[in-house]
Amino acid sequence: MKLQAALDALPYLLSAAGTTLWISLAGIALGQVLGACVLLARTARSPALRRAGAVYVSFFRGVPLLVQLLLIYYFLPYIGIDVPPLVAAIGALGLASGAYVSEIFRGSLAAIPRGQAEAAQALGFSSATVWRRILLPQMLRISTPALVNELILLLKASSLISVVGVTELTRTSHSFAAATYRPFEIYITAALIYLAMNLALAALGAVLERRLAAAG
Amino acid sequence: MDVSLFLHYGPSLASGLGVTLLCWAAGAALGVVLGFAIALLRRLPVPPLRWLLRALIEIVRGTPFLVQLYLLYDGGPAIGLRLADIPTGILALGIYGSAYFAEIFRAGFDSVPQGQIEAALSLGLSRGAILWRIRVPTMLVAIVPALTNMLIILSKEVVVLSVIAVPELMYQVQSMAAETFAAFETILALALLYWLMVELVARLGRAAERRATAFLRAA
Amino acid sequence: MILPPAASRRTVLAAGLAGAGIAIAGIRPARADTLAEVKARGELVCATEMEFAPFDFLVNNEYTGVDRDLIDEVGKDLGVKVKYLDLPWTSVLPGLEARKFDFVIAPVTITIERMKRYSFTVPIAEATVALMKRADDKSITKPEDLAGKTAGGQKGTAQVAQLAEFSKTLPKPITIKEYVDNNQSYADLAAGRLDASVNSLPNLGYVVSKRPEQFALVLPPFGKPSYYSWVGRLGKEDQSLTDAISASLVKMQEDGRLATIQKKWFGQSFALPKTVPTPSL
Repeated sequence: MKLQAALDALPYLLSAAGTTLWISLAGIALGQVLGACVLLARTARSPALRRAGAVYVSFFRGVPLLVQLLLIYYFLPYIGIDVPPLVAAIGALGLASGAYVSEIFRGSLAAIPRGQAEAAQALGFSSATVWRRILLPQMLRISTPALVNELILLLKASSLISVVGVTELTRTSHSFAAATYRPFEIYITAALIYLAMNLALAALGAVLERRLAAAG
Repeated sequence: MDVSLFLHYGPSLASGLGVTLLCWAAGAALGVVLGFAIALLRRLPVPPLRWLLRALIEIVRGTPFLVQLYLLYDGGPAIGLRLADIPTGILALGIYGSAYFAEIFRAGFDSVPQGQIEAALSLGLSRGAILWRIRVPTMLVAIVPALTNMLIILSKEVVVLSVIAVPELMYQVQSMAAETFAAFETILALALLYWLMVELVARLGRAAERRATAFLRAA
Repeated sequence: MILPPAASRRTVLAAGLAGAGIAIAGIRPARADTLAEVKARGELVCATEMEFAPFDFLVNNEYTGVDRDLIDEVGKDLGVKVKYLDLPWTSVLPGLEARKFDFVIAPVTITIERMKRYSFTVPIAEATVALMKRADDKSITKPEDLAGKTAGGQKGTAQVAQLAEFSKTLPKPITIKEYVDNNQSYADLAAGRLDASVNSLPNLGYVVSKRPEQFALVLPPFGKPSYYSWVGRLGKEDQSLTDAISASLVKMQEDGRLATIQKKWFGQSFALPKTVPTPSL
């Protein structure tokens, strides 16, 4: 072990971790919104909407993220859409995450006894109120652990955005490992940085879970 | 696009797909069993055990799979664990998956309404019967989609095994790319084979979901 | 007009993608000559994976290496600035075909298969095969000592193919383990899983110079002489750029700039072919 190799790389790794973090957070935000939209489509009355939602999940969950990134960045130009690297990176992360998130939401919705919504409707609540006051809070409580799983996975999957030319934590650690021939020291350092970021995410999730449990 | 490439590389792509399926199935099975065991152990009223398991989950979940694989493969021999590449890959996948599965099972246990457990207790059901006949079937409703998600994510982590020379799909696809430089065809091959494989699992997942929720519709 | 192969491939691929559910509208517009475009822009945009010392690597996030020194001189000859992009190898070739940049300055061994897809410049360096062992391994002093032992290299490379050829001439064959990344082959050599790593002489020479306590070269190099070149798009409108870069490389060899760069990185200078060699593999 040579700690010096890790220490020399540390400032560059930390600055790259900044890129990883903000792009992941943007991707997460987009994924939550898309996930909710897809869930609405999949529970809609219109068969066409339900079908569209199912195809969305099948594609964005089925095709590896690496390939999705390459498609967005290198194939869209053929039809005249030139996407800048950052947009491609955040867009791809958000689109893929949306598919997983919508499935998590769908599972938690299924776990809420159907009688609750029916009872509320019988009492004259509008369907918007039923969603906002009864279904959403419970769904969030049930789905928080799986959502935190998903966020952590997304943060780590963001290592793939280097294929569109965005230099993030994994890419930077590769470069240092290749230049110093000391992969072990560099990768462990990078892993610790990932761990710190993910612990923060998990802690946030735990706080949210306690709040929701107390409310429910 | 050069279709003859697919014919020429067909056998090696097929064998890569086979190795991917093997690593995935074995790794996922190990992960689910370990994850379920961890989730059960975390329910025991032993605080030090809980903290230990929590710490393990956070470390395994919080670090990239690639690094864990390197540690097991390059660091394993130092502690007398010298495995061949495929067993190393399966073990690494199982450990990695178990942390995520444990969290999913924990959420599942929490989603079971307390009233059901109390009702079962008052009916005089044993603890084992409550676990297998009440808790597990009820929680499956909530967690099958999340379990399917995780199985799919795990299938994509298999590509990482290529770095320790496990001859899985990515390894074969990369050698196709290196030998011919046919970048588009190789990406397409990877995309289509993966989509096919994942769609299959997603369908199995939906079938499982229908079975798990059958009692809701019957009621 | 005969459709250039790159364009026809793209058309077929587009059709394939449309079949996969992605609608592709519009037709690729006619392109101007790439060299003229580069000169008008005043900038040559190149991509490589900066993880291939001593050719392409990063020192404190600054791009360094043989390729950078060479392409900077090419830029001077063409009268343009040079911009370098660092991309993982997975996206270097797709990016070239999608015209995200003009040229690839990664060192690539010329093979028959690859020439069907891309246009190659004249060689930029020798890529003759060599072996590297652990410094403390006394049982290997020449390549032939590897008979019956295990060696590792990067999958799909011309170097591994030559090692396999060499293995056939030995009394006991060499067990060859193929990796997707040379660095893992070096790591397994250090860990004792391998007895030797195979790669080109310039690459291994650099590794040994950085880690002399751990690794040593096994000399002499063997196999057929082969070379690294740079890569451009195939096709009429792109050939002029590849030719201009080749011409500049030849000029550098004649006026001594190439020798200076070679001495800086390899400690010696050597002559390179002044035309694109016909590959034997």
